[in-house]
Amino acid sequence: MAVRKTGAATPDVDAYARAAGLAKAVKQFPQDIALAAQAAASARSAAGALDLVNAEPWPPMRVREVK
Amino acid sequence: MNDLHWLTAAGIGAAYSARKLSPVELVRALLDRIAALEPQLHAFIKIDGEAVLAAAREAEREIRAGRRRGPLHGVPVGIKDIIDVAGDVTTCHSKIFLKNVAKEDAEVISRLRAAGALLFGKLSLHEFAIGGPSFDLPFPPARNPWNVDHHPGGSSSGSGTALAAGFLPLALGTDTGGSIRNPAGTCGVVGLKPTYGLVSRRGVFPLAFTLDHIGPMARTVEDAALALDVLAGHDAKDPGSAAVAHGSFGVDLERGVRGLRVGFVRHFHETDVPAHPEVTAALDEAAKVFKREGALVRDIKLPSLLELGGVSRVFMLAESWTVHAPWLRERPGDYAETSRRKLMGGAFLGAGDYVHAQQRRLQLSDAVNAALRDVDVLLCANSLDPACRIDDDAELARTYPRQARSPFNLTGHPALALMCGLSKGGLPLALQIVGRMHDEVTVLRAAAAYERATDWHTRRPPIKTESRPQRSQSSQRKSKPGN
Repeated sequence: MAVRKTGAATPDVDAYARAAGLAKAVKQFPQDIALAAQAAASARSAAGALDLVNAEPWPPMRVREVK
Repeated sequence: MNDLHWLTAAGIGAAYSARKLSPVELVRALLDRIAALEPQLHAFIKIDGEAVLAAAREAEREIRAGRRRGPLHGVPVGIKDIIDVAGDVTTCHSKIFLKNVAKEDAEVISRLRAAGALLFGKLSLHEFAIGGPSFDLPFPPARNPWNVDHHPGGSSSGSGTALAAGFLPLALGTDTGGSIRNPAGTCGVVGLKPTYGLVSRRGVFPLAFTLDHIGPMARTVEDAALALDVLAGHDAKDPGSAAVAHGSFGVDLERGVRGLRVGFVRHFHETDVPAHPEVTAALDEAAKVFKREGALVRDIKLPSLLELGGVSRVFMLAESWTVHAPWLRERPGDYAETSRRKLMGGAFLGAGDYVHAQQRRLQLSDAVNAALRDVDVLLCANSLDPACRIDDDAELARTYPRQARSPFNLTGHPALALMCGLSKGGLPLALQIVGRMHDEVTVLRAAAAYERATDWHTRRPPIKTESRPQRSQSSQRKSKPGN
């Protein structure tokens, strides 16, 4: 996600934020929107790649026993 | 008795048994100390001195009548204000929850009440356990008793501050990315994040469901063990609660570490995210202490701290966004700036990111479990820097993420933070001891051995009062402590 030199979010970030229902925050706190988008991108990037694309997610699905 | 405020929970219990101290006498001494120092430290959101004194009188009657309930009977415990106490407001240190009156006790509160502990006020925190030291909230941020110009760590900041200041012998903290261990290390006390599921989360406002832990904070390892004995146990109403039987967690406190295999996770702080040189030196010295005590210390490799931290952050962002999205959409201005920035991150992650993180979580947990088959405990860094000034926003933003705690929220392993040095600036430095799932006994054993071999736990902060940063803040808080 890109951030303008002014610290405000780029239009694609703004659009993403509005789609998530954050229109008020986009208007009132544009710099916070930009930083939040950066934080998400950073976490996604640091999470690393999978060597097995079919690795089971954790926790695995379990049916719930109803007594 | 002198210096009642520095008594440990175990010491208080012994003094009660010997009839050298009464709960009322202790509570009066603590309220006096709080009244003198709290205006500089801001550890509390709320404290009702009269209510605590009334509870102390009741405990005194029961103890004198020979109806002592256990080691925590008549022992004051501070409660992080994200934990429900029936009839009290749980503010989460936020404007959003100023009228959030708890209907029921959290499970941990029920357990403390049953043990006869004295619930001693609600302690300040970082907003919703995720923000940082913030000056744009209804309550001021807690200060570090070692230097009030510096932050006390967080998010259980009031808990760390209260313990280090001699306000309380025990406190509850919560830990989603290190929020027990950060203030414990930063304030020079002990903080234990138990195995995920060992302590019930019911009645504690969630931050990130799969990372949230509740645990004890204390001034000694023994006290942390005593508190965990009371807090731990299965709760059928917490879906994440583990149905695991346990005995006394302090059973091996005196055993020492001779022959214990300690894996030193050196790469966390030497190459993955290089630590401040004083932190590195303190950790090297700690490894030497374990060796001198007879432990078999060797370097061990885990996945990269960056990778562990990254996956953990995906969970933190995604799950906390799920909790806070309704308020962030409607009233974003009611959050502190720091919290708002952190909590909105999850809006920019997709479902695929979350599933990917779940896949990575299993792999990374397996890697930590594999390492813990070769050694009994891990020794690693806690914070990678000494605490910076509380008003230095840039340094706060730089140093807060530099930590080695969140990996064990991701994996769920028990992890304890303990003081292991003082910076040149006079601020505590800390190490972490990490154990196998549900092996808190060995974690506490190793920590107790280190504590006995060093004198860090006997150091007391100077609690300087001058040169406090002047930042504007509102201060609608706490009833006056009674006496």
